[in-house]
Amino acid sequence: MLHDGSSLRASALRVAALTRHNLLLRRRDPANLVTYMVLPVILIALFKPMLTKAVPDGAVQAVCGQLVLFSTLSLQIVGVSLLAERTWRTWEMLRATPATAAELLISKAVPVLAVLLLQQAVVIGYGVAVVGLSVTGPPFLLLLALLVWSVTLLAAGSLLATLVRSHSQLAVLTDIGAIALSTLGGALLPLSMMPSIAQHAAPASPGYWAIGMLKAAIRGDAAGTLRPAAILVAIAIAAGTIASLRLRRGVAQLRS
Amino acid sequence: MLEADGLVKRYGQVTALDGFTLSVAPGEITGLVGHNGAGKTTFTRIVAGLAAPDAGHITIAGLPPRRAAHLVGVAPQEISLYPAVTVRESLRLFGGLHGLRRKRLSAAIGEVTDALCLGGFLDQRIASLSGGQQRRAQAAVALLHRPPLVLLDEPTAGVDPQTRRALLAALRQRAADGAAIVYTTHYLPELADLQATLALARDGRVIARGTAQQLLSALPGQVTVDLGDEVLRVPATDTAATLAQLLATISKPLRGVSVTEPSLDDLYQAVAGAA
Repeated sequence: MLHDGSSLRASALRVAALTRHNLLLRRRDPANLVTYMVLPVILIALFKPMLTKAVPDGAVQAVCGQLVLFSTLSLQIVGVSLLAERTWRTWEMLRATPATAAELLISKAVPVLAVLLLQQAVVIGYGVAVVGLSVTGPPFLLLLALLVWSVTLLAAGSLLATLVRSHSQLAVLTDIGAIALSTLGGALLPLSMMPSIAQHAAPASPGYWAIGMLKAAIRGDAAGTLRPAAILVAIAIAAGTIASLRLRRGVAQLRS
Repeated sequence: MLEADGLVKRYGQVTALDGFTLSVAPGEITGLVGHNGAGKTTFTRIVAGLAAPDAGHITIAGLPPRRAAHLVGVAPQEISLYPAVTVRESLRLFGGLHGLRRKRLSAAIGEVTDALCLGGFLDQRIASLSGGQQRRAQAAVALLHRPPLVLLDEPTAGVDPQTRRALLAALRQRAADGAAIVYTTHYLPELADLQATLALARDGRVIARGTAQQLLSALPGQVTVDLGDEVLRVPATDTAATLAQLLATISKPLRGVSVTEPSLDDLYQAVAGAA
């Protein structure tokens, strides 16, 4: 006898089945993740000597800057994970099952969040082990900062995936957007080395708040961590809400 | 099992469904037939809970579609499976979403892959399968949890005869077990194979409903009499009576006589011709 699957246990089992499946999909397509973990490692090694001469916290700037740049480029991983469901027409197959919209979104988010955290943990770990990054603040503060930034990226990537019409649109938007916003936020060069007009415009970039939050977390400045974290959480809530509403409605099909 | 009454669905200026009414009983296979744009796919999407009607009423075993997802198996018109995962992984995912676990899931996968001759492809990725094998895999997903209502939207489009035979046999068995099946197709001989009742759709509504015999009885057949220098072709609802009448009036020697009864294709053409 079929049951209607509305119990909490049934819901948890569906989320587990979907999460397992989404992790499998991630494992089958590792290219972007590997690229976005290897490239920052190389660039940190190249940038660090120059930045150490230019600013007092050169190692922190090198690690945080590359972390923000390449985690923002990872928006593509987030976007593709949702957009592919539309390309393959599998989103509708999932929606035709007893799985609720919330279950579908949670199970989609968990593996991507894990990927984003893994990428950032690798970059921070490399900074500490090889580049001489010194984390003087409590680990939980840094973990909070990484989590907030990952959730922000997750929400922004989800929104992008519901707005674009094709993978090429997504690639263009994430590549150009990530490089432009990260650079404006001070990821490539410290803000102090940038023109004054760019310094004034920097707060418009989420990357600016992310770099500020990460630097503060690394030096153990709780107040300096929480203020940008609050702004990023607000951005995440706004983007996530719009993305959820569009996904619940099924979103228009891809146009070829 | 399925009761749809007066469904209306509009997309902007386009009216996809315009008073679509259809009932399907347990154990009944209903062939939903009509031109592209007749409303078949929109109706299927509403039954699957993927779209809501603007007006009208629909229930599946007394429940609204979104609350009846556990009772429905869906195979959409286009292949809608993950290319990077295997057939077994696909079935495990969708079986899991329908509450099948461990032994029940393994047994269900074994049953449906045997029925659809998919056993040899279980561990191949969907992307590496032929079109026909992908169609079978998609049908397997729809049938896996033994749903009381199965929706298949052109499941044999572009497939080989072996796939078609396997699928039709599996559907006949499911109907014999009590499932209601809505089968959308342009291949009318399949509906004869399935002994399906017919629902002819046009302009967003069902314009004719019944068994093939009931619907065909309203169409004329044709009596052809070859007189050598002349061939008479006479449309006739009662072909036997018409033939007897013709033979009684003809004095010339006959070269040949044939009677053509209306076919499902004629029925489809009659519907199409009226469009």
